[in-house]
Amino acid sequence: MAKEKKNKNVDEIKDRKITWKEIKRQKALLIISFFMLVYGIVFYYLPLAGWLMAFQKYKPKLGIFGSKFVGLENFKFLFMNKSVAFWPVVRNTFFMGLLNLVTQTVMAVLFAILLNEIKANVIKKPIQTISYLPHFLSWIIVTGILHDALSNSGIVNELLIKFGITDRVIDFFAHPEYFWGIVAFAHCWKETGWNAIIYLAAITAIDPCLYEAASIDGAGRLQKIKYITLPGIKPTFMILLLINIGNLLNAGFEVQYLLGNGLVKKVSDTIDIFVLKWGISQNDFSLGTAAGIFKSVISITLILIFNNIAKRNGDERLF
Amino acid sequence: MKKKLVALSLASIMLVASLAGCGNKTADTPAPASKTESTESSKTEVAQTETTPGEVTDFTFFITMPGSEINSDNEIAQIIADKYGVRIKETWLTGQTASEATGTLIAGGEYPDFIDSDEMQMLVDADALLPLDDYIDAYPEFKKLWFTDEEWEKFRQPDGHIYWINPFGNTLGQSKATTHNDEAFWIQVRVLEWAGYPEIKTMDQYFDVIERYIAANPTMDDGTANIAYTILCEDWRYFCLENAGQFLAGYPNDGSVIVNKSTMTIEDYNTSEDTKKYLKKLNEEYQKGFVDPESFTQNYDEYISKLSTGRVLGMVDQWWDFAYTVNDVFKTQGLDEKGCNYVCLGLTTEEGMDNRWHTYDDTVNQASGVAISVDCKDPDKAFKFLVDCAMDQELHDLRFWGVKGVDYDVDDQGLYYRTDEQRVNWADTSYQAAHRCQYSYMPQWSGTSRDGKNANKPEEQPSEFMNNMAKPLVDCFNAYGVTTYPEMIGSVVETNGPWFPMYSYSNNFTKDTPGGLAWTLMGECKHEWLPKVVMAPDFEKGWSDYMAAYNACKPEDFLKEMQDILDTFK
Repeated sequence: MAKEKKNKNVDEIKDRKITWKEIKRQKALLIISFFMLVYGIVFYYLPLAGWLMAFQKYKPKLGIFGSKFVGLENFKFLFMNKSVAFWPVVRNTFFMGLLNLVTQTVMAVLFAILLNEIKANVIKKPIQTISYLPHFLSWIIVTGILHDALSNSGIVNELLIKFGITDRVIDFFAHPEYFWGIVAFAHCWKETGWNAIIYLAAITAIDPCLYEAASIDGAGRLQKIKYITLPGIKPTFMILLLINIGNLLNAGFEVQYLLGNGLVKKVSDTIDIFVLKWGISQNDFSLGTAAGIFKSVISITLILIFNNIAKRNGDERLF
Repeated sequence: MKKKLVALSLASIMLVASLAGCGNKTADTPAPASKTESTESSKTEVAQTETTPGEVTDFTFFITMPGSEINSDNEIAQIIADKYGVRIKETWLTGQTASEATGTLIAGGEYPDFIDSDEMQMLVDADALLPLDDYIDAYPEFKKLWFTDEEWEKFRQPDGHIYWINPFGNTLGQSKATTHNDEAFWIQVRVLEWAGYPEIKTMDQYFDVIERYIAANPTMDDGTANIAYTILCEDWRYFCLENAGQFLAGYPNDGSVIVNKSTMTIEDYNTSEDTKKYLKKLNEEYQKGFVDPESFTQNYDEYISKLSTGRVLGMVDQWWDFAYTVNDVFKTQGLDEKGCNYVCLGLTTEEGMDNRWHTYDDTVNQASGVAISVDCKDPDKAFKFLVDCAMDQELHDLRFWGVKGVDYDVDDQGLYYRTDEQRVNWADTSYQAAHRCQYSYMPQWSGTSRDGKNANKPEEQPSEFMNNMAKPLVDCFNAYGVTTYPEMIGSVVETNGPWFPMYSYSNNFTKDTPGGLAWTLMGECKHEWLPKVVMAPDFEKGWSDYMAAYNACKPEDFLKEMQDILDTFK
């Protein structure tokens, strides 16, 4: 009986007529969704038509409709031609993305928890404000500061020599092995404060009763962090992690582009730089698009995989 | 259902609207074609274009070079606008490379009125440029004076049209060249003065003087540490590291290859013994600590500001790449009086070889120049102004000399001269932004003005040239018994072949041909490996690793295509 009733309900909803009255009633919603729909179509779906370029020998003169179709030629060139060096670029992007993701997440959580432990607002608020100020600096400024700080006569070299850690200046940007670290550091410096905001908000949402109860039970600070704060922000953590995994291959463009030079090119080029170099500079839109498609496919796959893992573990997930 | 229908219909309306948007664009593209059809009418119109005062057209001009924008209320720009009815807003490269900027323009599909790009071929491929043939024919005097017929032919693209006009490298009347506008090993005059003006013919002698100088004078007067030798190798400017080998071997600046005139064959300087010796010497100096360790990581701005402090004793560069900025700073800071100015040395691998660092005749680089885009609001007027720049002496004087009575004076013999104050003003950057307007990528002349007395550009006016030089520089010239930079470098006087410079061909290579792809990959390889070779603890190993990576780029494909081009001149 109950089942039947439920079905009936469903049918009712299904059969609900779209009448003018109903439309009038939902006028506001319709107007809002209309704009979102248009926005979505114009900015997310129509541009996808450009993917056709990846399967063509695209010439700006002939346009998408006039260019010759070449099948998977561009992908072949991308993956098979050793001298074009696409795979090292993918490797760079992936590992820099991973390094950024791990360091940024750890730093943000750590910072949020530490900040939360400060009880005096007079100290806490200014620290928080100052910490997210770098977020509003553009990368060109951040890389400028880094370039100066890490230059031969910069503050870092000066300190290292003063403290006797090295006796010769280190030319940081001439060593490929430092590059990923420098990029990760730059991201941390710029974004830690900003990323911590969302964790701070999650921590604020934890019921204070839990802390009180824990105190009564004799839990210390560290125990409270371990058993209440960390589990409390886990859902937020998972959701952010999933979103960011989709962004793994967006390891950056500006930082690597602005900090890179001939000597570190092997480790500094990312997919985005590759697309710029071949797509825009060499005027081969097709190859650039092919590389872009590859990136999108990998990103979607990564999200699907990790979303599935999260689902199986019963954690928060995207869909 | 209805809801879905509504949504669908809305979506389709949007689609139609956006398609209509595309449609408009495609409708725009044939415009240049119709233009060519109606050339007859436009031609007569062009010839009769008269400017009525007060009617000013504002054009935009994008140049794929870094430069300084002038103020919007710039005084000379206003004078030109009043008289010629044209004002140009120049924009320059900021941050990106020339090809990135050009590619972005094409991807965006909207062009400025004038374009001067290093990647003209990309613009032609995208149908972005207006064919200029009919316009050029409408101004026969200009056509005759600016280039010879053969030179014009060089600019003709495979589709039979001429799209751009190179604004540089033309000499009117008698040549007054006083500067060495090309590449050289530069050295500060204070070093030469200290060493008693020795003859310097080879790299060994060059570095020997610098080493001895820096050992005796580790710092400048104000305590700043001197830098023996720095190398600029950012992006395309890495020629400062890359191509000295061809000059040291005694060849002229063909840029991407060496042309052996006797056999008419293309040779690769990247793998030559001279280049290897050159890099070996740099490596040796690097290991000794005389090469600025920041060389390979600095960008152009950092390099220029480094030179501007006067700390750097020597480097390889082309005059135009540093001198205009750096010499102005030296003048305003008084560093020229301390002997910080650079003079050029014509070094070769061995002593006694001829050097060809200096290019005597006009170099016509057909790879780039000023073009008018299909989006230009008034091509007739735009082209007329372009012609005026070359043909109207008054306009030329306004651009390069400034305003009579303000920026220069005229003596009883009709010769232009400047007072010290005028000279300092002209070198001052804020004055330049507010007052000076050179439109420096529009056609211009070197040599003698149409009055038969003055130089077209102040730096070539003998009195100006001498007066503008600080005492240490004059002393240096006197010590070597020369009066100009070209005499200082002492290159062999000879005319280059009609193929010269070969770089104007390779600049237009695209990766669609095997040679073009090889050229791109070779560039990437050299960018990475040349610094590594210089820094290598073991030079021989570094060099052989470099050669292995270099040969993997298939340079033979590139050389073959260059040879094919050279063969057309046989």
